Amino acid sequence: MKQNIEVPALARVEGEGAIYIRLKNGEIAQVEVNIYEPPRFFEGFLQNRYFQEVPDITARICGICPVAYQMSSVQALEQAMSVQISDEIRALRRMLYCAEYIESHALHVYMLQGPDMLGHESALTLAGEHPEVVKKALRLKKIGNALLKAIGGRSVHPVSSCVGGFYRWPDSKNIKALIADLEWAVQASLETVQFAAGLTYPEFEMDYEYVALTRPDEYAIYDGEILSSKTHQSIKSVDFEKSYLESHVKHSNALHSHTTAGATYFVGPLARLNLNYNQLRPVTKAAAESAGVTLPINNPFKGMIARGLELVEVCDLALELARSYNPTGPSKMPFKVKAGEGTGVSEAPRGLLYHRYVVNEQGMIQFAKITPPTAQNFAQMEADLWQFAPQVLDLKHEEATLACEHLIRTYDPCISCATHFLTLKVDRE
Amino acid sequence: MLVIVALGQELRRDDAAGLAIVREWQRTYPYSAADPEVHIEMAGLAGLNLLTFLELGDAAILVDCIQAKAPAGTLFMLDESELASFCAASGSAHGWGAADTLALGRSIGAQMPANLTILAIAAGDLSLGEGLSPDVQFALPTAAGQIEKQYKNYKLFSKFSR
Repeated sequence: MKQNIEVPALARVEGEGAIYIRLKNGEIAQVEVNIYEPPRFFEGFLQNRYFQEVPDITARICGICPVAYQMSSVQALEQAMSVQISDEIRALRRMLYCAEYIESHALHVYMLQGPDMLGHESALTLAGEHPEVVKKALRLKKIGNALLKAIGGRSVHPVSSCVGGFYRWPDSKNIKALIADLEWAVQASLETVQFAAGLTYPEFEMDYEYVALTRPDEYAIYDGEILSSKTHQSIKSVDFEKSYLESHVKHSNALHSHTTAGATYFVGPLARLNLNYNQLRPVTKAAAESAGVTLPINNPFKGMIARGLELVEVCDLALELARSYNPTGPSKMPFKVKAGEGTGVSEAPRGLLYHRYVVNEQGMIQFAKITPPTAQNFAQMEADLWQFAPQVLDLKHEEATLACEHLIRTYDPCISCATHFLTLKVDRE
Repeated sequence: MLVIVALGQELRRDDAAGLAIVREWQRTYPYSAADPEVHIEMAGLAGLNLLTFLELGDAAILVDCIQAKAPAGTLFMLDESELASFCAASGSAHGWGAADTLALGRSIGAQMPANLTILAIAAGDLSLGEGLSPDVQFALPTAAGQIEKQYKNYKLFSKFSR
């Protein structure tokens, strides 16, 4: 590779963005992951809105992870107003989250990173050669979508969640009707692990600081404390901004995150898997052992294996929750609107999603802060490219460009929420 | 079944035009919209889920906003083969584009409507925020009339093909 790398619009990521790598005398001199849109639009947009509008508005930020936005926002607002939800509501929220994971991970494994790993330009060309692979992905995704609709009331942007719980309990027969599909999904996700573990990944490892939610009693997705692999300490969501800071960088509209020690950190499936393997369900652990997965995994390309294992986890969990679904209590907890401040954090498929709101006595939003996973990973993506780009400098320009794009796609960046993303440019001097 | 799918990001101004057009049609032609042979999906950022909606029908109308070298509010009736060229220049944030999704569905033999039409409206403002630009807003009744025309054609075709 003799030229700088420029990807002006990365394909197969949610949104738009760009990568720029400048070479000087054959060495990497500059790496930028660029973002074009104003990063804080949605936070401003939420100000002076009634608090119950927030879950619906934030759900519309992204077509892929609306549930994550709803779950972090309702938890933050419930904390602000001292609302305690019931176990039944929490279980349904977990099932709703499973639906989103099934959709998102099936899409990423088979349609976004899968084509890269199998040497295809896109899912379209992959479908031409391996239609059965794409059909499986679409069926998995469809099951996730059907579960989302059964609980969330709509196929794309769910509308049933609210601060305090759900506007009403979803019809039990609609959820039970999906049990057979979920049984198939568990089997398909087990095959997905074998598929992902059987691929040959680019050689690349980093000494990451992983950050993810953790719980002692379950694989944390809906809630938990925030754990770092470097400090081995977990903190509550209210302390997130004391440990993880955001700052502007000159070349990007998006804020970049780092720890208070100034280090980059990595959120997402690899972080969750590496930090919370012990809390996985038995079927997921068995799948990992059967596929010969050993931890820690420090190769970002192998995030695909982590997604495969999480597919098993959420399909099996959704199956259990669907079988036991039989709510008897109120779907929405009664509470009085009051002034307050609250933080909420949950694990979007792409990683930790943090919300903080300040509400006044009338329930109007006075302040909103949203720190999405993709924004938290931007600095880590750049750090990866500094290390990875020299490995591909000797390749032809097109191959080097593809390799860099592939690396960024492993993060599954969702730019619709972190703002828009991706395109690659390399300049040589 | 005639499936009408409204696409768009409601928080990017004119990108919400597809949803606004279908709502305008429902408001102006309530009897047509209540026809049990019609399935309406306010799909927003549907991505690949578009395939799930399309398998319900033997005919479909996708209603969406596009970027085109035409004044804002200009209406286009496209067939599937014309969609790709329009989408190539689209700045829409729909994630997985409609053209790619349709091509993928065809390539794997997914159940899809034989008759698929795209009603597209040229965007004027795709910045972040709510509310349509005046030219796009002005075009809504005409666009709703186009859906009604397609609906009547569908009913006529259904009647004669029985």
